[in-house]
Amino acid sequence: MTSSVYIHIPFCNNICSYCSFTKFYYDKEKVKKYLKALKKEVLEKYKGELIKTLYIGGGTPSSLSLSELKELFKIVKIFKLDANYEFTFEVNPDIDDVKIKFLKDNQVNRISMGVERVNDKYLKFLGRCHDFKLVEDKIKTFNKVGLDNINVDLIYALPSETLKDLEEELTAILSLNVKHISTYSLMIEEHTKLYINKVKPIDEDLDYEMYKLIIKKLKEHGFKHYEISNFSKSNYEARHNLVYWNNQEYYGFGLSSSGYFNNIRYTNTSNLAKYIEGNYVKEFETLSKKDILSYALILGLRKIDGINLKEFNLKYKVNLLDLYNIRDLIKNKKLQIEDGNLKISYDKIYISNSILINFVGE
Amino acid sequence: MKQENIRNFSIIAHIDHGKSTIADRILEITKAVSKREIKEQMLDSMDIERERGITIKLNTVRLKYEYKNEEYMLNLIDTPGHVDFSYEVSRSLAASDGAILVVDATQGIEAQTIANMYLALDNNLTIIPIINKIDLPSADIEKVKKELIDTFGFKDDEIILTSAKTGVGIKELVEAIIDRVPSPKGNINKPLKALVFDSLYDSYRGVLTLGRIFDGRIKVHDKIEFMQTGSVYEVTELFVYNPTFTKVSELTSGEVGYIVASIKTLEDVHVGDTITLENNKCDKALPGYKPMQQVVFTGLYPTEANKYNELREALMKLKLNDASLTFEPETSEALGFGFRCGFLGLLHMDVIEERLEREFNLNLIATSPSVVWEVMLTNGEVVKIDSPQKLPPPGKIKTISEPYILTNVFTPSEYIGPLMELCQDKRGIYKSIEYLTPERAILHYELPLCEIVYDFFDKLKSISKGYASFDYELIGYRPSNLVKMDILVNGSLVDALSTIVHKDFAYNRGKVVVNNLKELIPRQLFSVPIQAAIGSKVIARSDIKALRKDVLAKCYGGDVSRKKKLLEKQKEGKKRMKQIGNVEIPQEAFLAVLSNEEIND
Repeated sequence: MTSSVYIHIPFCNNICSYCSFTKFYYDKEKVKKYLKALKKEVLEKYKGELIKTLYIGGGTPSSLSLSELKELFKIVKIFKLDANYEFTFEVNPDIDDVKIKFLKDNQVNRISMGVERVNDKYLKFLGRCHDFKLVEDKIKTFNKVGLDNINVDLIYALPSETLKDLEEELTAILSLNVKHISTYSLMIEEHTKLYINKVKPIDEDLDYEMYKLIIKKLKEHGFKHYEISNFSKSNYEARHNLVYWNNQEYYGFGLSSSGYFNNIRYTNTSNLAKYIEGNYVKEFETLSKKDILSYALILGLRKIDGINLKEFNLKYKVNLLDLYNIRDLIKNKKLQIEDGNLKISYDKIYISNSILINFVGE
Repeated sequence: MKQENIRNFSIIAHIDHGKSTIADRILEITKAVSKREIKEQMLDSMDIERERGITIKLNTVRLKYEYKNEEYMLNLIDTPGHVDFSYEVSRSLAASDGAILVVDATQGIEAQTIANMYLALDNNLTIIPIINKIDLPSADIEKVKKELIDTFGFKDDEIILTSAKTGVGIKELVEAIIDRVPSPKGNINKPLKALVFDSLYDSYRGVLTLGRIFDGRIKVHDKIEFMQTGSVYEVTELFVYNPTFTKVSELTSGEVGYIVASIKTLEDVHVGDTITLENNKCDKALPGYKPMQQVVFTGLYPTEANKYNELREALMKLKLNDASLTFEPETSEALGFGFRCGFLGLLHMDVIEERLEREFNLNLIATSPSVVWEVMLTNGEVVKIDSPQKLPPPGKIKTISEPYILTNVFTPSEYIGPLMELCQDKRGIYKSIEYLTPERAILHYELPLCEIVYDFFDKLKSISKGYASFDYELIGYRPSNLVKMDILVNGSLVDALSTIVHKDFAYNRGKVVVNNLKELIPRQLFSVPIQAAIGSKVIARSDIKALRKDVLAKCYGGDVSRKKKLLEKQKEGKKRMKQIGNVEIPQEAFLAVLSNEEIND
C-alpha cells in the first residue's frame, strides 16, 4: 500500500556550489509548463490511496511565486490526506512572510530549511545567498504562525574548517530551537562548481572527529541520533524519510524524482523537455525477492536502532539472521543484536558502507 | 608468374611514422581493395594493433600491378615495428629483396629507423627511402632529407616524397619498387628451400605457416621437412592472401604464401626455420635461425581464485597465435595460483596483459616484471631464476649476475644532459655519444635490463618531451651486488611483492616502496604497518591509518537505487583487489615495488 508522496520542484533563484541535484534557474514560462506536466503525471499515476506523508523538495520549492504556489497546491489537493499526516515543505531562508502564512494555511505541518552554515565565510563558499540573521528571523516567523516542526540542514567538513569553527556553528544552530537537524559531510560531486574548481575533501580523520563532535553536542542538547545523518527531538523523526529507510512504498512525482511501488523502483527523467512532453520515467528496476531484501538491509541499517527482527521476518517471510553473511558480521562485531533489533555497531556507523556492501551485488 | 616480374618487399619505419597507412595506400593503388573496403590500417588485424597504431603480428599480401605493359606480382611483407619483435622483423626482411624506409617528415630519423635500417642492410636489401607526411604543416622536408643523406648516404634523387594521407607519391613509390628492387634469383629446378617467417593459428586448419620460396617449388601433398626440428608433414593446402585467402595449387621460387599441413601447435613451427622436401632435400638450411628468447617475466594471477582455469585457457588461446609467449604454473602464498609468463619485451608483455583483460574479461594481478638472473651457488652450480621467490637462501649464494643491455638512445642534443642523468640513476655505465648531426645524437649506455623494465621508457619520453626514442640489445650477464628485498604487510611477508635490488640502492628503494604502498593501499578497518626488509632486518616502515569514513551521508529525495548502485560499484572495485590475510591490496600495489620515486598524492 503506497501512502507516501515526494514531489520535486527543480527551480532555484541561485545555484549553490555543492549542489548536484537536478535544478534550473527560476523561469516563469518553464514553471508554468512544469506544473501542468506535474499535474498530468499525478493524475496518471495516483490511485487514490490515503497519504500519510507528503514531501515537497527541490531545488527550491519556495522560489515559486505565490500564484505558482497556489497552482502547486491545487495539485496537492488531489491527494487524500490521512488524518495523521506529515506534510513537509522545503524552504530557503529568503522565503517571504506571505508565503510562510500561505504554507501554514494550506496543510503544511513541517518545514525543512536549508540553513547549511552560520558563518558568512562558509555560506559564501557554499554559494548561499543569505545570512544567519535572516535564518533566525524566519524561524521566528514560522514559530509565530504555528509551524514549529522544523528541520535545518547543516553541511560540515568544509575546506579549512576546524573543530572549533564547527563547535561555534553548532552552538548557533542549537539556539534556533528546532526539532530536527540533518548534517552532511561535504561531498564534492561531479557537475558542481566545487568539482570544477577542484576543491579537495578534508582529511578523513578530521572529518570523523567532526562527526563525533556533532553527535556529542547534539546529544547533550536532547537530540536523538536516529539515522546516520539525522538527529531529532523525541517524536520528531522525519516520518517521510523513515518510509525510505523502512523500505516502504512511495510515489515520486516531478523531474528526476524516484518512486517505489508494485515491486518497481523507478527514476524520472532529468530532461525538462522530455518531462513536459510526458515522458516521465527514465529508468526502472523490477525487483526480485533478493533485491527487495537487499534494499531492506541497506536502508534499514542506516537507522541507528537498525531493523526489528520480528517485524522483518514477518514482512519478508525469512529469517533475517540467515541472510547473507549476517551471522559472521555479528561475530566480527560489525553488526549486533540489541532489544530485538539488528543494527550496525555504533562505532562502525561512519564506515557503514564497508558493511553494507555485503548485501549488494553477487 | 616468371620470377623476373616478382618483387618481394617490406616496409620499415620507426613507430608512428606511417608504415601501416603507406601499406593501405599501396593496397588501394594496386586495387587489392576498393576504397570502400579500406579500414584504417588494413594489415593490422587485431583491435589492439589498430588502437595503439602498432603492428604485432605479420600479415603478408600479394598484389598485382600493370607497369609498362607487363603484369607484376608484388608481395608486401609487413613487419612489426617494435624492438621487442626485432627477430621477427629480421626474418621478414630475410624473406624480402627490398625495403621501403619510411621517415616522418615532421620527426626525422629515430632510434628504430636506424635499428631497422641496419637489419635491412644486414639482409642485403635494396632500400627505397621515403619521406612521409609531407602534407603536415610542421613537415621539414629539407632537414629530413639532409639527415637521410648524411646518416645513410642516400642520394637526393633516390628519396621519394609521400603523403599516405593524401596519396601523393604512392604511384611513384610503387613504380620505384618495380624499377629498383631486384627480382628473386632462385632456381626453380633445385630442391625446395623455403624460409619460415611467420605462422598463425586457425582453429579449423591448425597452423598456417608463412613461407618465402627461395628455390624449387611446393605443391599440395608434398611431404615437407622443417630442417631445424626435423619434423615432417604433408601439405594439405596452399594459400596466398590478396587480401583474402585464395587457394593455389603450388608456390614456386620467388613467391610467398601460406602452407597448411595439419600442424597442431605453433610451437612446432619456428620462425627462421627452413622448409625442404623430405625425399629431395636442399643442401643446407638458410642462415640466421635462432630460437626465441623471453627476456621479461611476470606473474599473472586472477584476482578471483576461481578464475584460474579461465586464465589458463586464455593463455593457451593466445599462445596459439603467439609462440613467443611462454607460461608455466606458479604459486604464490599471497596470490594463490597463477602463471609465470615470459615475454620478448615490455611492449609484448603490455599487449598480452591487455588482451587477457579485454578479450577474455579477466581481472588480473600482475606482479612486478623481472628478468632472468644467473645465480652461482657456493657449490659452483649455476641456476637461472626468473622470479625473486625462486632465489636460493643467502647462505647458498656465491654471486648473482644480471642481464645487461646496450642502449641506443636517440635524442635531440638538448636532452643529452637529463637523459644521461636518467641512465646514471638506473645504474648505467656510460659508453659513448655519437652525433649524427649537430642537433641529434645517439647515447650509448650499458644498463642492467631490470632497470628498464618498469618506468624507463616513460621517463625517457617525459624528459625529452617525447622526442627521444630508444632500443636496446642484450649484451650478456654481469655479477652485481644484489639482494632480495621483502615487503611485510601487517606483519606478514607478501611473496609477490619481493624484488631483487642492488644493495647500495636498497635503503632508498625500500623507503620509496613502503611510502608508495601506503598511498596505494586503501585504509582498512584497522591500521596496517608496511615494512621493507632484507632478510630479518627491517629497512623501512610506513603505517596505513585505520579507515574512518566510508559512508553515504546524503539521501537523494528517495533515490535509493542510486545508493545501491554506488554500493555495488564499491563492491566491484573491491573485487579487483586481492585479499591478503585480512588486508585488501589493489593491483597497482604489485607494480609499485619497482618505482624509484614517490607518488605525489
